[in-house]
Amino acid sequence: MIAALWSRTTVLDRLVVVLLLALVVASALWAAQRPAGARVVVERDGQVVFSAPLSEPRSARLSGPLGETVIEIEDGRARVISSPCPTKACMGMGPASRQGDLLACVPNHLIVRIEGGRQEDTPPYDLLSR
Amino acid sequence: MTCSAVDPQELARCRRGVFLALFTALAVVLNVFEFLLPSPAPWFRLGFANILTLCALYLFDGRAAWTVSIARILVGSLVIGNLFAPGFFLALTGGVLAVTLMTGARALAGERLGPVGASALGAVGHALGQLLMARWLLVQHDGLWLLLPFFLAFALVTGVLNGLIAALVIEKVATHPAFASQRRTQE
Repeated sequence: MIAALWSRTTVLDRLVVVLLLALVVASALWAAQRPAGARVVVERDGQVVFSAPLSEPRSARLSGPLGETVIEIEDGRARVISSPCPTKACMGMGPASRQGDLLACVPNHLIVRIEGGRQEDTPPYDLLSR
Repeated sequence: MTCSAVDPQELARCRRGVFLALFTALAVVLNVFEFLLPSPAPWFRLGFANILTLCALYLFDGRAAWTVSIARILVGSLVIGNLFAPGFFLALTGGVLAVTLMTGARALAGERLGPVGASALGAVGHALGQLLMARWLLVQHDGLWLLLPFFLAFALVTGVLNGLIAALVIEKVATHPAFASQRRTQE
């Protein structure tokens, strides 16, 4: 059975598959390389509605247009534990802990982001006059 | 419409039209069937419809592959009811990138590239195209690229699987008398 299928692939086919496999591995390595995050930031329609350090365990109730989404912070990881949305994709996304990780609940308009220690968008000075 | 059976060129043209319509119809059915199946996460699809695009590519040519795949996306979206919704644009971008890669690779490599290689390329191209469009339309955050490894891995597995199915189908269908003239022109 396997031999019959193998015989239907050409040398180039196998080469293409191996190259694409290398691409998958490379993208996985690239994704795993980011440093651990420091803060959880929740945005609703571009507005920050909640922010907390990842180091302290706690849970938060966030209201969106559909109702309450509950997120939980534990062991330096954030996860969505309950959501009123129909698909529950945000709950299925599992925990987020690395800088740049994202849990999105599109129907409830909530985006949970993990940020690094230094806020990139807030520079260490108040004002720059040019 | 009458088709003169004495003119072999006319007959070949008619046959091509009929077969491409058949491939498209089958692809639409598979597309809708897939839509009804439970999916582990949104945008993770098995891509069975690509089997028919591969059949068109290997039994006819690149132009046929374009016809089947674009027609399948349009008609499939009509049936599913997401025409011009975000999901449709994701499918369209993925499809265009996939067919570009498949026909391009086939044109470059010719007989050296079998359905399995083309299918794997197409599947990965489809995943990339979908993610690009999703990044642009839906998520608008670079965090989306973290899904890339999962998408690519899933695409590669389904791509190889569909390629093997397509190889078996093409082998069976190519021996049919209707494709005898096709074989002669290719040899």
